[in-house]
Amino acid sequence: MQNYATQIKAFIIENFLFNAEGSSLGDDESFLENGIIDSTGILEVVAWIEETFGIRVPDSDLLPENFDTVQRLTTYLQRNADKHGVPAG
Amino acid sequence: MLIQDFLLGSCRKNPDAEALVSGTFRATYADVTDAALSLAASLVAEGLQPGDRVAVLTDVPFDYIVSYFGTLLAGGVFVGLNTQTSSRTLKQLLSDCGASIVVTHRKFLKYFESMADGVPSLICVVIAGGGTVVGVSNRIFAGLIAKRNDNIALLPTREPANLAQIIYTSGTTGTPKGVMLSHTNLVVNTHSTLQYLGLTGSDRVMVVLPFFYSYGNSVLLTHIAVGGALIVNQSMMYPTVILDQMQTERVTGFSGVPSTFALLLKRTAIRDSPLPQLRYVTQAGGWMSPSLTRELIAALPEVAIHVMYGQTEAAPRLSSLDPADLQRKAGSIGKAIPGVTLKVLTPTGAAVKPGETGELAAKGENVMIGYWGQPQATAEVLRDGWLWTGDLVTADEEGYLYIAGRQSDMIKSGAHRIAPKEIEDVLLEHDAVFEVAVIGVDDEILGESLQACVVLKEAGSCQAEELLRHCQQILPHYKVPHSIMFFDELPKTESGKIRKTELMAGILSLQEDP
Repeated sequence: MQNYATQIKAFIIENFLFNAEGSSLGDDESFLENGIIDSTGILEVVAWIEETFGIRVPDSDLLPENFDTVQRLTTYLQRNADKHGVPAG
Repeated sequence: MLIQDFLLGSCRKNPDAEALVSGTFRATYADVTDAALSLAASLVAEGLQPGDRVAVLTDVPFDYIVSYFGTLLAGGVFVGLNTQTSSRTLKQLLSDCGASIVVTHRKFLKYFESMADGVPSLICVVIAGGGTVVGVSNRIFAGLIAKRNDNIALLPTREPANLAQIIYTSGTTGTPKGVMLSHTNLVVNTHSTLQYLGLTGSDRVMVVLPFFYSYGNSVLLTHIAVGGALIVNQSMMYPTVILDQMQTERVTGFSGVPSTFALLLKRTAIRDSPLPQLRYVTQAGGWMSPSLTRELIAALPEVAIHVMYGQTEAAPRLSSLDPADLQRKAGSIGKAIPGVTLKVLTPTGAAVKPGETGELAAKGENVMIGYWGQPQATAEVLRDGWLWTGDLVTADEEGYLYIAGRQSDMIKSGAHRIAPKEIEDVLLEHDAVFEVAVIGVDDEILGESLQACVVLKEAGSCQAEELLRHCQQILPHYKVPHSIMFFDELPKTESGKIRKTELMAGILSLQEDP
């Protein structure tokens, strides 16, 4: 779990905060509410997840409950790994 | 007639009708009107004089709408600000319009740090959700809308010709231009739009567009005018959420820009999601490709799809394509809407023949007063009684108009019009940058994405990430380039002007043949 969270945070900080405000990205901070990611940025996140973790994200999974914080995204990836037997991280 | 009469009229007719749905929050016309009247009385009590500017920076739909009508009822001029902002942009806009009062939300207070002494016109900041701004008097939004005020006669009176609203657009030079719209400008354009859309009080529109741009502003006014309901969720980050809400709220209308439809068509199950109540869709805010239009028609075969064209300077609507002509005149922006005259002209003002390209010029009571504090910029576009749109068009034999290009190099990315020069200037502030050109490259979702082409003073002295971080510190998020490419030199004309078309072609060939 921790490994997922670390990777996600590193990706968000590098690509959306340009390493400038990394320390302020909390695990429960909403990407949408805080304007961290927008409608095209979330597609970059999806593409990164599909490429990095080898899973396919169906459109129906693109929901705030799965994607809107580091914590939720971590849970989503873990759930996928459990379902498909992919090793964590 | 004044703009606020739309709200007051709909409230008188049906005060208990639903006006706004935002998440779990619901408000009736009486709720909105009561709050707007109370806010108006409070603003007057704070010292707001007729014609004073009230700037609003919030993404809370109820607060925005109440502030809009509250400002107008108080005799003020409403200035809705883009919530994707930066401290520098905010200070620039508040100073430019000479705002007396700002209405905002706690989450935007970070942009006000170190601002208090920078905007001398500010009387007070009205804050929702808590928090304070140092150096200026603070008021609590909830307190100002709760002071009940029924006596509209105590509020200042305004004339239809008076300035009602300033909407900021990106100027080609990178300096924002405040488009001044009178009550008449907005009232007549609202009436014209209602005519061709045929809206009624039974309509429920799904609003994903921000209200601070002229398209969203028009969606707001047209639906308030008929007493319809606004179902507001102003983000396309999770398009399936929007589609679900369209179903559960039984919406009858939907308005979007090309990127909105690209997201709905490519990232949701819209083709398999019955929307039996949906009867109309409007598309504006940039040219939509015929292939995307065809996909939309196939996904929503029973729905009237209105392709529209306009600009903020026209409050905003100028032309519309009848849904019946959508296939026959694919790619067209239609014909002038009621109350508007359109002509395709040469630079000297002569009419061009069908099939020839000229600049689109418009006339009508909807055409703006001018640009706030910029008489020269105003004179450049308001000439001989016409608004020169800067858009190059052709007309066919039947008078249907087709966009052929723009005279400026403005970039249309998502719902935003962006001046490359503003981003170029910010990049040039970085010590390592020698020269730069920002161009729009084709993007499946956004229409155009921002590509910065940079020449460094010393090759390898700076990474793209550092330049992006520099931009992010100064510019709103949507103006930060999507990518940065480094060049040894940029192609130029003999006079030293960067050849952006050549640059663009070079990048395209790189993308096709990496």
